[in-house]
Amino acid sequence: MRVHYYPGCTLKEKATNLEDSTQAAMARLNVELVEPKGWTCCGAEFPLITEKIHGLTPPVRILRQVQREGGDKVVTTCAFCFAVLKRANRAMLDNPEQHMRINAYLKEDIEIDALTKEKVTDFDAYDGDVSPLHLLEFIRDEIGYGTLKQHLKRDLSHLKVAAYYGCRLLRPKKEVAIDDPESPTIFEDFLRAIGCTVIDFPFKQECCGSYLSASMPESSNEPSYRILKSAKLNGANVLAMSCPLCYYNMETRQDRIREQYLTFGGFPVLYFTQLLAWALGADAEVIGLEKHAFDPRPVLGITQDAEVSV
Amino acid sequence: MMKKEKKRIGVFVCHCGVNIAGVVDVARVAEVLKEYPGVELSADYVYMCSEPGQQMVLDKIKEEKLDAVIVAACSPTLHEGTFQHAAELAGLNPHQVEIANIREQDAWVHPDRERATDKAIRIVRSMVEKAIQNEDLEPIKVGVTRKALVIGGGVAGLQSALDIAEQGYEVIVVEKEPSVGGKMIQLSETFPTLDCSQCILTPKMVEATRHPKIRLMTYSEVESISGFVGNFKVRIKKKPRFVDEDLCKLCNDCADVCPQVVPDEYNMGLSFRKAIYMPFPQAVPGTYTLDRDNCLGTLPIRCGKCKDVCDAKAIDYDMKEEIIEEEVGAVVVATGYDLYDMKALGEYGGEHYEDVVNGLEFERILSASGPTGGKVQRPSDGKEPQNVVFIQCAGSRDPEYHNSYCSKICCMYTAKHAMLYKHRVHNGNATVFYIDVRTGGKNFDEFYQRTIDEDGVLYLRGKVSKIFKEGDKLLVWGVDTLTGQKVEVEADMVVLAMAMTKADGAPALMKKLKVAVDANGWLGEAHPKLRPVESLNQGFFLAGCAHGPKDIPETVSQASAAAAKVGALFAKTELMHEPTIVPVVEELCSGCGICVSMCPYGARTLDQVQHVIEVNEVLCEGCGACAAACPAGAAQQRNQSDNQIFSMVNAILRG
Repeated sequence: MRVHYYPGCTLKEKATNLEDSTQAAMARLNVELVEPKGWTCCGAEFPLITEKIHGLTPPVRILRQVQREGGDKVVTTCAFCFAVLKRANRAMLDNPEQHMRINAYLKEDIEIDALTKEKVTDFDAYDGDVSPLHLLEFIRDEIGYGTLKQHLKRDLSHLKVAAYYGCRLLRPKKEVAIDDPESPTIFEDFLRAIGCTVIDFPFKQECCGSYLSASMPESSNEPSYRILKSAKLNGANVLAMSCPLCYYNMETRQDRIREQYLTFGGFPVLYFTQLLAWALGADAEVIGLEKHAFDPRPVLGITQDAEVSV
Repeated sequence: MMKKEKKRIGVFVCHCGVNIAGVVDVARVAEVLKEYPGVELSADYVYMCSEPGQQMVLDKIKEEKLDAVIVAACSPTLHEGTFQHAAELAGLNPHQVEIANIREQDAWVHPDRERATDKAIRIVRSMVEKAIQNEDLEPIKVGVTRKALVIGGGVAGLQSALDIAEQGYEVIVVEKEPSVGGKMIQLSETFPTLDCSQCILTPKMVEATRHPKIRLMTYSEVESISGFVGNFKVRIKKKPRFVDEDLCKLCNDCADVCPQVVPDEYNMGLSFRKAIYMPFPQAVPGTYTLDRDNCLGTLPIRCGKCKDVCDAKAIDYDMKEEIIEEEVGAVVVATGYDLYDMKALGEYGGEHYEDVVNGLEFERILSASGPTGGKVQRPSDGKEPQNVVFIQCAGSRDPEYHNSYCSKICCMYTAKHAMLYKHRVHNGNATVFYIDVRTGGKNFDEFYQRTIDEDGVLYLRGKVSKIFKEGDKLLVWGVDTLTGQKVEVEADMVVLAMAMTKADGAPALMKKLKVAVDANGWLGEAHPKLRPVESLNQGFFLAGCAHGPKDIPETVSQASAAAAKVGALFAKTELMHEPTIVPVVEELCSGCGICVSMCPYGARTLDQVQHVIEVNEVLCEGCGACAAACPAGAAQQRNQSDNQIFSMVNAILRG
């Protein structure tokens, strides 16, 4: 199987363990990931905050490139990129004015053909025909849990995993949601399919503090801490997620949480793709398990158990 | 058809105070129309609907020997009848009266005097053209069967049945459950007087059983209905109860031996009953019912224990479903409501947490006849809850995801719930989250104030975003919009005032009855203000929550009103049906049958032999759907023919 894949900048820089584990897992599932030529930053959250046309243009350009390469869907793992692409595409479908204006900008694009060195101009209009898919949706709908199970190499039943959705996979409901925002199950279904023991916990859709970690870190520590604590209280020994910003707040900056909450000893956090790749038999080094602020290897059974306390 | 040239037409233009005259130059309209072909007389007057105004129309018809009258005034829904009556008094056929609506369709919607006046002239002109071709019509007469059908045996249905029966007419009450009583019999105490719901309802139930004119058919459903006002044929399905009502001695021996335990509907699933059961002690009829869906099996090899122990020999496994046919003249639809499913509000956890209950469940918990005997205990572990959170508007007033409407009774019953809780758990804490508190009703606001002033219930204005469990507590997250603070309340139990919705079985039933429902599935009334208890479909009357959320007094009022309407119908020896129906021009009809599928009233059938359409004149409501659909022009509505419509269009468009 071959599918277009938009990694986004963060996966190439800060979140290499998300990128590497996605690549490793998909290779093991015989899925070839094709990056659209010349992809740029999706614009992160900014096109959606300002609703400015020039902010929406980059994500639409990425989608148009997928279409030019013959694709009708593009898979992402980063929850932010996913939300941006999907909302930008929704605008192209539902908002005639934005559709017209963005296409007017994109028509002016100039591209130099790599082979002939000739200028390519006068691009076709993009009408919203490429579906942005989150990898969780792609696995459920295109690969299928049945196929997935046939490729499993490791038993993960000892892992009690709490699925953390955050906001970007579910809200706003009408534009983005990959599942019912109030009682989603797609993440849990996936975890069950790869053999994890799934733990339900009430904070799975709560905000992690998002960008407050940059401007007011003390304000993002509390929500992040409450999520980790709730997962632990409900019996989880791993928290799984898909968003690099959530990961930054709840994994990378566990040191800050510890400064504010003295009893917090740390908690293992993994990208869902790391769990997937691990279940499919990938090596620990390949999926970046050593890069974590709180070492998840003991809970995965790779090294001796460390004390976990929240 | 009368010859055009011969018709003498009078035009009467109404000022309606300033309603019309404020925008339209009525004098000019009257002046211009004087010159219009066929118009003999044209005049204006300040209030045409007033006594002198009507007298003027009446006199002029006589004096000028008018053959038709146009009244240019308000919408025909208001005063068409008034002027038709005046015309009749003057000896003119009422179908020679036309109303030109220059108020709602002109003066009220246009600011420009010049153009509004021009439009008024065109509207009146078109009605003159229509009137020129109008024929004299006589109403269609039909007899009346003086027996009523009431669907639903809750308080609405019982009240309607009793009031109809007291007027001397026979009534059949069809109730799908084993007992009458509806939702009201499940309530604990009622606001704002706190009288016991059962104590006030059971006398009505008993009275209905004993009334010689009332026939209660419980455990029965309406299978189909045909016919028309005054003359309905109804087929009622009587489900087998497997217990002979007359022989059953209510000893409970059958239930004692029954091995099948299922959730008890009467207690909202908070307790259990057997597969053979009596719904509640005061059930009417007082008998047991064997619930076939949950029975192990009546063959001795499967079970058959209940029959073995029944000394009265009341249990009969061979009972079969029966279809009973009845003829009735009117139908009261009183099918009640259901509560919106807690599953739809995933964020409140009603589906997962036993201690998150809906309003009716809490009624059972408070009720002396409930699973806890009226002691407030939470379902999960039977502990007395020290902190109870009540959430209003759960699924109501949320056009984005749930129901856009207000469920109307929740503010009051939540106040009652909180008050009753505080009466039983004196040191407990009751917190209510609300959007607004709506207490429109006699003594309602005083009641609500008491919950705050005397019982110390805490009201927080704001919505709850989420409920989840931490340990054995429920944590309620919300916002207090008066202080702008996020709040977290620890609760032992949460009561959701779930929205009221159409009854589960209502859509299928309403389809069978062919009665109109609104976007939310509530029954539609003929006029929102002036005909609130009648359906647009003649012969159908509305009572209770099937028509929309209501409290008990309002339900009872509407039920009595519906009964009065049935009485007025039955007081007639024959019914007059509007003659503006759509007959068939047989020479033009090809028998294609398109109009049959268009007709919402089932008035048109295809004669397979003659291959033409037959029209049931009494069923036809003259909506014109068939006339618009007929490709051959064979369906011509009386006094609304294609020719008339073309003439009207021409009169409007001409310069």
